Amino acid sequence: MEYRLDRIPREQTLHYLGWHGGKLPAEIEDSLSRCEALLLSAAKPRIVWKLFAYREDGSFAGTDYTPDGQDIRAFLRGCEQVVLLAATLGIETEALIRRAQTRDMGEAVMLDAAGSAAIEALCDSFCAELGKELSPCCLTERYSPGYGDYPLSEQRAIFRLLDVSRRIGVSLSDSGLMIPQKSVTALIGVSKRPIPKQRTGCEVCQLRGSCAFRKEGKHCGKT
Amino acid sequence: MGTMLQAAGLSTGELPESWNLTHPERVTAIHRRYVEAGSRVLYTNTFGANRRKSKGCGYTPTELIAGAVRCARAAADGHEIKVALDIGPIGQLLEPLGDLSFGEAYDIFREMVVAGEEAGADLVVIETMSDLYEVKAAVLAAKENSRLPVWVTMTFEASGRTFLGTTVSSMALTLTGLGVDALGFNCSLGPKELLPLVRELRAWTPLPLILKPNAGLPDPATGAYHITPEDFAAELKEALPCGVHAFGGCCGTTPDFIRAVCKALADAVPVSATPAARHGICSSVSTAELNGVRVVGERINPTGKRRFQQALREHDLDYIVRQGIEQQDAGAEILDVNVGLPGIDEAALMRETVRALQAAVDLPLQIDSSSSAAIEAGLRAYNGKAIVNSVNGKREVLDAVLPLCKKYGAAVVGLCMDENGIPDSWQGRAVIARRILNAALSCGIPKEDVVIDCLTLTVSAQQKQAFETLRAVRYVKEELGLHTTLGVSNISFGLPARETISASFLNQALYAGLDLPIINPNQAAMMDAVASFRALSGEDRDCAAYIRRFSRAPSAPASAAGPPHDMSIAEAVMRGLGGETAALTEKALTEMDELAVIDRLLIPALDLVGARYEKQEIFLPQLINAANAACEGFELIKKRIAARGGESITKGKIILATVQGDIHDIGKNIVKVVLENYGYTVLDLGRDVPPERVVETARREDVRLVGLSALMTTTVSSMAATILALRQSGHPCKIMVGGAVLTPEYAEEIGADYYAKDAKQSADIAKQVLG
Repeated sequence: MEYRLDRIPREQTLHYLGWHGGKLPAEIEDSLSRCEALLLSAAKPRIVWKLFAYREDGSFAGTDYTPDGQDIRAFLRGCEQVVLLAATLGIETEALIRRAQTRDMGEAVMLDAAGSAAIEALCDSFCAELGKELSPCCLTERYSPGYGDYPLSEQRAIFRLLDVSRRIGVSLSDSGLMIPQKSVTALIGVSKRPIPKQRTGCEVCQLRGSCAFRKEGKHCGKT
Repeated sequence: MGTMLQAAGLSTGELPESWNLTHPERVTAIHRRYVEAGSRVLYTNTFGANRRKSKGCGYTPTELIAGAVRCARAAADGHEIKVALDIGPIGQLLEPLGDLSFGEAYDIFREMVVAGEEAGADLVVIETMSDLYEVKAAVLAAKENSRLPVWVTMTFEASGRTFLGTTVSSMALTLTGLGVDALGFNCSLGPKELLPLVRELRAWTPLPLILKPNAGLPDPATGAYHITPEDFAAELKEALPCGVHAFGGCCGTTPDFIRAVCKALADAVPVSATPAARHGICSSVSTAELNGVRVVGERINPTGKRRFQQALREHDLDYIVRQGIEQQDAGAEILDVNVGLPGIDEAALMRETVRALQAAVDLPLQIDSSSSAAIEAGLRAYNGKAIVNSVNGKREVLDAVLPLCKKYGAAVVGLCMDENGIPDSWQGRAVIARRILNAALSCGIPKEDVVIDCLTLTVSAQQKQAFETLRAVRYVKEELGLHTTLGVSNISFGLPARETISASFLNQALYAGLDLPIINPNQAAMMDAVASFRALSGEDRDCAAYIRRFSRAPSAPASAAGPPHDMSIAEAVMRGLGGETAALTEKALTEMDELAVIDRLLIPALDLVGARYEKQEIFLPQLINAANAACEGFELIKKRIAARGGESITKGKIILATVQGDIHDIGKNIVKVVLENYGYTVLDLGRDVPPERVVETARREDVRLVGLSALMTTTVSSMAATILALRQSGHPCKIMVGGAVLTPEYAEEIGADYYAKDAKQSADIAKQVLG
């Protein structure tokens, strides 16, 4: 299935950088354009995914896996199938962002933010195609370990089910962090019936107490 | 094996290797099916039998491996079949991108190899690797702890790189150098897709090759393979003329595939080894092929550079790394690395410098030292195939250093001098060059890896020597057929217009046969000479690179005209204009001393930026750009002070660390930039830092302010552990913490003195604590 990364949404990058709006200084515009070009040429987007039948008891058919947590159960309620997804921009972008931190920290934070915007854009592009492929079924939003009470430790199970390290070259550290950091794992529910809008906003987020966006009365965009 | 075990009843959560002990008969039965199909080498069921992956399975790696060898032996009994200890990736990424240290990786592999040899394996097979550094750890572990032959296969994408960016040439040069017995590919792709990579590999190594592809390309949605065993075998056979000696199958293949391969190759005769057609040195991601002029950057060297010496003494690796980046940008293709200074632990510093440089630049390195301990430390830490600079004609030097070059597979520079000094005549130098070549050959180092330095002497002191050097270069190149190198800039010491005469000497040396000029790539005249020579020699096809170099519109250097008269330092800093800030700092220094410039101009400028950031008039990239601009001013002042040998100015030391288990350190690095530009000395301990290291550094360096960062909820607990360790040590210091998941309340709860919500606030805290 097709997925592409040919543009990094600028507004999303600025959002991650905490831009307060207004006219952006020309030198920052230039730097951002440069960073986006660097990222797009370094990125080697890769995705691995699998479709599972989702059982009433919350388990994935054909596996021994049942996602842990009430919130993910609620999220997938009513879905007959679930897509498990892992996506990455590749190790080259990781190296690009790391190296920029020695060379020019200002550029590094822009690359970092643009990288976050890019991996989300890649997943969006994939999900749009997935939606067409699985039509007329409906898809939920993406739901990742770390949202709600779906713990980060579930990464291990996702890595095992999709053989993520071998298939797309992402590795998992002891504390559950993915490298390259610009990588995403997620679940997407698939249902024959239209799905009511889920609560994926701040109220179900584990970070709601400490989130920098919330401290400023904003949100991260995952609503 | 994994798929076969699942078919035999292994459940998804179970460690496949545990079956070696719980269901040995089933593992042996699988091996038997391959024996019956015609396999001549059986890989043991130990792919993941390492300490990390097998944790919690109830058995030690040694037990799993002993059981695995028994299972394979039982099937091999009565046949002429070798049992190979199979070693797969550890499953965790090595530093610098990951958090597993090279030493620990080595130790994990050592445990496996020792167990495998004891259990009676016939050889070690390291497979499915995508990280060349991890392979190096495994190969060293195998060669240093066993006498077994070592085979290596890595996993590539069709692009010709592994997931970690390793190229085919880098793999070939590095592993051939390390002395593996055979190498090749497994997994990755189907045989057809791998064929071009096999051809590429053949060009770079004389060793026998191994090819063990997947059953074609899998269907992306289902993961199923569609190729038939016969088609697989037919495609595989095409690799025979490339010198492939061992064939097999990976994902999607079954005993039927092996049977088909055996049938297709029944009458095949392996093509015997041929010398490699291409040579070079490399990092894991980039190769400098030795088939033309390759510029070696000379700047990472403390000789005669006060600021560099100061950086070494203060352990300022960032400064050294920036010198590397600058040279890479200027067109260097290899970096010489010399960190020798009286009174420092050169071996430890070499190891750290090599690692820090390889985390930031792609270029291959030349390990430059007169200490064999430092050379070995550098070679061991190095990822790729390095050059050693240098040996000379003295017996004891040859005896000490050449075996290291052989062991780690490095090329070596030999200087044309010995106990009696540098011969005056070119003939005298040629004699020494021959002696070095012979010593290298008898040590097992191939001729292509010997580089001779005929030695540049200063023309203002020994005028007759310039031409002797050039004659020696010609002889070594044409008669001995060796690569040559010269430290070019030596020629012009003590003369005016040094670049002019250096460039002229360089031109003539290149014509005489110089391959590896050691120069300052930041000097345009030198790089212009190289570019011209390449066009004239034909190395630069159609003069394309020459045209590119010189058709760029000449851009006036930013600060050539100087900043506008009315610009203040504050404005230059605010707008992130580094060149202007430096120029204005220089001007200010004619009117006041260094300290006054810092306190009255640079710091207030940063304060102003900080205030605007707090009011949300500017955002993070602007804050950092301003800090970087101020940095240019500070750097100018540092250089002036270093040049007159003075103590460096600091407002106090601060430790910064991203806590154990956490590798997200961009936030910590932002704080570092800002604090440094406020004039503090930051002791940056990096990421994934254990509590003991923070405590030990705080006490040794008597540090009064410690900053800790953590990004993940999962790692905040190690922040608490670090704070506890600091408190228990009794060392008096304040602790500030920051990171995405922290709150002021939580910071207080875990015993921190301050919560810093951003980089600006960390500077405010530093001011409060240290003044």
